[in-house]
Amino acid sequence: MSLEDPEKEQQGALEGRSREDELADLLGERALSRDDHKNAPAFVIRPDEVQDVLFDLRDQAGYDFLSCVTAQEYEDRYESIYHLKRYDNPMDEVSVVVPTSKQNPVSQTAEPVYKTADWHEREAYDLVGIDYEGHPDLRRILLPETWQGHPLSLDYDQDRPQIVTLREHANPLEEDQRASGTGANAHSNTVESGAVDDAADSDTMYLNIGPHHPATHGVLHLKTILDGEQVVDVEPDIGYLHRCEEQMAQQGTYRYQIIPYSDRWDYTANMPNEWAVARAIEDLADLEVPEYAQVLRTMATEFGRMLGHFLAVGTFALDVYGDFTAIFMYAIRDREKVQNILEDLTGQRMMFYYFRLGGVVWDLPEPREEWFEKVRDFLDELPSALEEYHDLISQNEILQLRTVGKGMLPKETAKQYGATGPVARASGIDMDLRRDDPYGYYDELDWDVAVEDGCDNYSRLLVRLREVEESAKIIRQCIDLLEDWPEEERTIQSNVPRTIRPDDDTETYKAVEAAKGEMGVYIRSDGTDTPARFKIRAGCFNNLHTLAPMSNGEYIPDLVAALGSLDIVLGSVDR
Amino acid sequence: MSGVDLASVLLQQNGSGNATGNATNATAGNATNATAGNATNATAGNATNATAGNATNATAAGPTSETPLPDLISGLLGLDGFGIWGDAVAALLGAFLIANVMLTMTAVAGPWAKRKITAAFTDRIAVNRIGPFGLLIIVADAVRLLSKELIVPEGADRPAWDLAPIILPFSALLGFAVIPMGSGIQLADPETGLVFAFAAASIASLGLVMAGYASNNKYSMLGGLRSIAQNLAYEIPLVVTAASVVIFTGTLRMSEIVAVQSQPLIEAGALTIPSWFAFVNPFAFVLFLVANMAEIGRNPFDIPEAPTEIVAGYQTEYSSVYFVLFYLGEFIHIFLGGALMAVLFLGGAAPPVPALGFIPGFVWFVIKIWAFFLFTQWCRSAVPRVRIDQLIEIGWKGMLELAFANLVLTAIIVGVII
Repeated sequence: MSLEDPEKEQQGALEGRSREDELADLLGERALSRDDHKNAPAFVIRPDEVQDVLFDLRDQAGYDFLSCVTAQEYEDRYESIYHLKRYDNPMDEVSVVVPTSKQNPVSQTAEPVYKTADWHEREAYDLVGIDYEGHPDLRRILLPETWQGHPLSLDYDQDRPQIVTLREHANPLEEDQRASGTGANAHSNTVESGAVDDAADSDTMYLNIGPHHPATHGVLHLKTILDGEQVVDVEPDIGYLHRCEEQMAQQGTYRYQIIPYSDRWDYTANMPNEWAVARAIEDLADLEVPEYAQVLRTMATEFGRMLGHFLAVGTFALDVYGDFTAIFMYAIRDREKVQNILEDLTGQRMMFYYFRLGGVVWDLPEPREEWFEKVRDFLDELPSALEEYHDLISQNEILQLRTVGKGMLPKETAKQYGATGPVARASGIDMDLRRDDPYGYYDELDWDVAVEDGCDNYSRLLVRLREVEESAKIIRQCIDLLEDWPEEERTIQSNVPRTIRPDDDTETYKAVEAAKGEMGVYIRSDGTDTPARFKIRAGCFNNLHTLAPMSNGEYIPDLVAALGSLDIVLGSVDR
Repeated sequence: MSGVDLASVLLQQNGSGNATGNATNATAGNATNATAGNATNATAGNATNATAGNATNATAAGPTSETPLPDLISGLLGLDGFGIWGDAVAALLGAFLIANVMLTMTAVAGPWAKRKITAAFTDRIAVNRIGPFGLLIIVADAVRLLSKELIVPEGADRPAWDLAPIILPFSALLGFAVIPMGSGIQLADPETGLVFAFAAASIASLGLVMAGYASNNKYSMLGGLRSIAQNLAYEIPLVVTAASVVIFTGTLRMSEIVAVQSQPLIEAGALTIPSWFAFVNPFAFVLFLVANMAEIGRNPFDIPEAPTEIVAGYQTEYSSVYFVLFYLGEFIHIFLGGALMAVLFLGGAAPPVPALGFIPGFVWFVIKIWAFFLFTQWCRSAVPRVRIDQLIEIGWKGMLELAFANLVLTAIIVGVII
């Protein structure tokens, strides 16, 4: 946080002051008080004015991006925080804090304003227990529907047995248990429950794709309703890989025990996750990062992004080509080279844990020249490898026939659903946190943001391939910098206290551009060495939410291709 | 095995009936033969030139002789004197031999060659631990697959569910009854051989739809429906393209189709290009190749089983022995597709240049069908799968028109110019 901070604070001082006043004027009496977070001004509002306030913020102040919804329980109240941003300027942030009483934790839903709030509020209900009034489909999202209690609430009993059958769980007074309980279709938005319950009268077929299916890239369950081969409705059922990452992070100390978990979220491209956590904690505890470490971080993260994109391109080819395409192995071959480089750098092949608060854990491996040569060899070979990908994939006419104009995600829909990363950029949204909310060494380097206007499966593929090129560009510049760095100035970590205890009740939300989209972390401290609330905002979670609007009306193969083009990692979706 | 045997006996009778100079469709007993006989009359008329295939010459069995294999066997074993029973035993032995050859090739192709080829395309090594070049993986895989539990899904439509995996491989084996494999290996050479081969091969569709319908699984159902839609769309161009070859040859008899291709097309000094129909009409060759890929359901037309979409299509619910039968059936179908390509377009078992004639015809035949197998595996590694609606569109709006255009063109060339 050393490099960009002075500049950013200045900007904030100039723009933010007037901006905050503007917002205060806009909200008027609806803003009960201020509860500013470290990253953004925060306005406290009444739980029955959520939609009113958010509509104004969206339509009049331009906050078109609901980045995250954090729910938490205090001793005396529940609180939902809506982290708002703007797609054209992610540094212009504002938080809307909605406290609700302990006795009656009911808050108005934000779903009509931002579609993405649908899933976020379901998660808040699931884990914390806040009731969102007017929500179209308030069910558990990560945990099984028979789960007893809300795990992140304060009075949650971890010893309570959780083996409850659906029969015991279902409310006998409810009219139709099947429709409300097991039948996914009953809740889906576009299909009336009758369509499937009376299968004899309908032309549609209900199909479970997953949780074990060759094309779901992990344990994902798609509740699909088909009309012949066409998808009428699809509803992702997630949570099979939920590992209580937020709770585990809340039990770990800031200094060493949280970042290792972040490697397990998006495990195909895990370097950026580490940075998300590091960035949030460093912001919270005002830690400096030496410039040299910033370059190392930037380089390592771009290698991590390559890991993710190679796998994404390879698996997308699997989905479109068939299960034994050569492209997958080519992608794995190139990914392997990156992994070898990162293994030399970090000592690990998958769970790197390279980031430490205030820097990184190790300098480049000795002898440095050898390692530089290895990286340069890889970078020199990369253009021809990418050429090969373009020959085999993007220029293949059958692939174009399959993917161009399919899985359409229009720009406005993408914004509504909070899509970020390559998914958003393929829909023409020119946002990249590396450029728009600069961190690390990115703003010192020369690179471009890959944006496509196609909004289809093909564009998402192209964006990823172009981002690999851009990553290579960034890495090459980092290598040059590192090679010429004076030996006495190679500080890899700043002086960070052994135990970090941020000030009581400090809150921040910080995000980085991970391979799949915005990876954000919200932390509230309570004066101890562990966070009081640790909330993860994963790009995959929001991107997966866009699957339904993308694939409705398409054929099954295009549903599969659309899912592949979203490049979700269930570890990141379910956390 | 009984299906093959019965058919070969019938065909063998049919063949010997022809040899004595009787009219074309004397024996019925078999619906496919009856229709095929009509087709012969319609397209080829009476132009059945007996260039070869005189069954009376059973003793003169050479590499170029077209003596049906059963006659050869009965001659060798001295079964001639036993009348129809002798013929039946000889036919049975012949069918047994051919079926075993094909199944052996399938065994090599399925667990071993397929892996090796795919590995070569994807920069890997594949099986190399068990036996020389990993060849004993075939045995290991056979034991592994056969020792698995046969899981019968609840609600399966039992007789149909059990019959489907039997129909698939045996329909393909039935097709081999009329394929001339060179070196005198041919079970029967009826006048309607080509149509019989197509008819036998398309029985497989019945097996696929039975499997899809009887499995009580939605993925299987989708796979079965897809396979029917696909076979409907591609069988017509396939047969129509084959008919363009028949216009050239004027016969449906396999041995004669092969014999017509043995003449040189162009002779330029030492280089002789034989008049294989692949060279005579490359357009028809490509059409047939594409339609054939769809017919046997290989990439880019493998949508009936498209693993990343509908798990495994019609064979989702099959395990153990039934799975092995499906697996075998698919590979025999690939080989039958290759055999039809070889007979119709690549000169059957003939060597590409006469100088290579010292290599037995059967070897050339095997090389040709394996070349086709290699081609299917190449596509599997490199070509994206088309979508079901695109597949149907290509079939009905593209292939069908091209096939008919090719047929009309060929008819004009043959009828007007030559």
